[in-house]
Amino acid sequence: MNHDPFSWGRPSDETYGAYNNEIAHAPSFPKMNTQQPIVTGTSVISMKYNNGVIIAADNLGSYGSLLRFTDIERLIPVGKNTIVGISGDISDMQHIEHLLEEIETENQYDNSFADNEESLQPSYVFEYLANVMYSRRSKMNPLWNALIVAGVEDNKPFLRYVNLLGVTYSSPTLATGFGAHLAVPLLRRVIDREEDIAKTDLQTAKTTILEAMKVLYYRDARSSRKFSLAIIDNDQGLIFEKDLQVEKMAWNFAKDIRGYGTQKV
Amino acid sequence: MNGIQVDMNRLKKGEVSLGTSIMAVTFKDGVILGADSRTTTGAYIANRVTDKLTRIHDKVWCCRSGSAADTQAVADIVQYYLDLYTTQYGTPSTKTAASVFKTLCYENKDNLTAGIIVAGFDDDTKKGEVYSVPLGGSIHKQKYAIAGSGSTFIYGYCDKNFKEDMTKDETIHFIKHSLSQAIKWDGSSGGVIRMVILTESGVERLIFYPDEYENL
Amino acid sequence: MTSIGTGYDLSNSVFSPDGRNFQVEYAVKAVENGATSIGIKCDDGVVFAVEKIVTSKLLVPKRNVKIQGIDRHIGCVYSGLIPDGRHFVNRGREEASNFKKLYSNAIPIPAFADRIGQYVQAHTLYNSVRPFGVTAIFGGIDENGPHLYMLEPSGTYWGYKGAATGKGRQTAKAELEKVIDQNSEGFSARDAVKQAAKIIYMAHEDNKEKDFELEISWCSKSETNGLHKFVEGELFDEAVEYAKKEIAGDEDSDSDNAMSSDDEDAGPDVATTTETPATEGNADRDGDIEIE
Repeated sequence: MNHDPFSWGRPSDETYGAYNNEIAHAPSFPKMNTQQPIVTGTSVISMKYNNGVIIAADNLGSYGSLLRFTDIERLIPVGKNTIVGISGDISDMQHIEHLLEEIETENQYDNSFADNEESLQPSYVFEYLANVMYSRRSKMNPLWNALIVAGVEDNKPFLRYVNLLGVTYSSPTLATGFGAHLAVPLLRRVIDREEDIAKTDLQTAKTTILEAMKVLYYRDARSSRKFSLAIIDNDQGLIFEKDLQVEKMAWNFAKDIRGYGTQKV
Repeated sequence: MNGIQVDMNRLKKGEVSLGTSIMAVTFKDGVILGADSRTTTGAYIANRVTDKLTRIHDKVWCCRSGSAADTQAVADIVQYYLDLYTTQYGTPSTKTAASVFKTLCYENKDNLTAGIIVAGFDDDTKKGEVYSVPLGGSIHKQKYAIAGSGSTFIYGYCDKNFKEDMTKDETIHFIKHSLSQAIKWDGSSGGVIRMVILTESGVERLIFYPDEYENL
Repeated sequence: MTSIGTGYDLSNSVFSPDGRNFQVEYAVKAVENGATSIGIKCDDGVVFAVEKIVTSKLLVPKRNVKIQGIDRHIGCVYSGLIPDGRHFVNRGREEASNFKKLYSNAIPIPAFADRIGQYVQAHTLYNSVRPFGVTAIFGGIDENGPHLYMLEPSGTYWGYKGAATGKGRQTAKAELEKVIDQNSEGFSARDAVKQAAKIIYMAHEDNKEKDFELEISWCSKSETNGLHKFVEGELFDEAVEYAKKEIAGDEDSDSDNAMSSDDEDAGPDVATTTETPATEGNADRDGDIEIE
């Protein structure tokens, strides 16, 4: 008798041949995890300036073409000098919010300096998120988002992007989604290269971002007029402005437009 | 991956669906849930007197839309979780109930078609709360929520007519008119209008028949 | 003790014929030799304090922190085997984190006590593990206000207004009773911090030959916004100054505090008036604590 309890009640090897784990553990269908975004947030746009960074995102959660939720905050503060701007699937965004809250809590564990010299820095937050995004895409189960981490670290502005593929890059001006096509060219009119950062003050940067948000509202069919804006300034720290609105739009020229070419009346 | 295409978000062939009009509205004394009563398999009405307002806890209820099987399964699991929660830690908040719904819907999003509104009355704060948990498993706290296929027709009506802190009668009026329009324009919604009122004084059920709501 | 040599104390999962689990009782012994820890509940929060015996002059002062945070609203301090306490806290953090993930709310402290209590109790059941060599005092604030608990190696836990464990617990408990009685009308977190400092200094009196450091943390609605934080800076210095002054004044005035000094191991002392009945079982003649 086979005294190993593991084999009790199983077909005996003598009669049926060796137990084939390969077959036994095979699922009836391949596990497929790639999904599709359902409730989505559109662009996040951001730029550096001589003493920090600015980042902005609107407050809309779209459900296909239905503008379903109008009060979604997509700029997530982490610690005192980091903002994570999230576009893409909102359920995954909420999952990322939870992860960020978790790393903040974990950073507090046994750390008397968690509020000061050992607080989470933008680069730590970014590196963590980039790892999460890459590992999830490698499991064929991506978090359907594009993120921008903005902040000030060692008195210098920090700005970096990561998306659902785990691709990362930096630039003095950054935007996700539609913003990468529409806003970045506008932002680059002010900051085209690294050296331009030093020449750009907060006021100029803020005006540029507001102008870009306006153009996005003009041309992005999944955008809303309401948006949030955050500034992380090396001296003033985090300035979070909520319930902002796209202002001073130009619509008046519409009255002079008649027909679509030759028509005069 | 291109060889095999599975789109779990589309209903499997022959599946029973709650192509629905549902809503939940907070008001002065608590919260009211409302729903139509039509369940369909394709164009055939499988059940014309469905109850889509489901008890999760004494004063936490939900409105179900999407797959009937999925939402029943999810609601049963949440009910079990909250029963356990009650014996261990006491009465759960509406937020906690909604969070359990969210966890299930988010972590199984590939296999579920469930759009749920969670509404509850908190006996401590004396306030009604509404949470929307749409398809992907995100969670949204709202003053009022509408969902289901019929809801798309009443976004404008609801946005214009909802007021905060309405009376019970005003709220019933609001829901009755909203769902009446949803049912009128959505082929997948119909039957009777059911309501559940959650206030400090308890749970109350209302029902309105087509003759009453069709020609408001 | 008659049972010595019978072998009933060798395994966790075996009762002695008179219905005792000796491994648990030995764990209690480990706690009784540990440095004193206390917790006080005040109007809108809790305060923790611990005596840190300086075991080596090479240790960096103010580092090697002993009090730990479990969640942002829960603090914990323990006496006994420090590594056991570390593991205990890690498990506590997992419980708190899991709760928050599922229910979207910070874990209520009674719920936390229940979960961690079950975990500690499970370590008295199996042959493959030994019980925790710590008695932990933990608490904080949740939506129902402040909570303070003390959890013993057996898995027993009770809620307290003030709790003490470790070597100086007798003195500390006597003083806690006094302090809590005096402040029954209202007890601010700041006052509780000062009293906590005093109590640790008093409890250390019996162990005077050894140097020690004081560590205090708190969790108060008004002072720390419900978060568990260390008491530092001015308030800490103020508390220490107050404690030292009180000790100096006490030395010649009342002698009844010295009652429970030197012989901490002696059982009969346990049954004196200073004992809160719920805290520990009654002691028998041989000095063995009976676990309820």
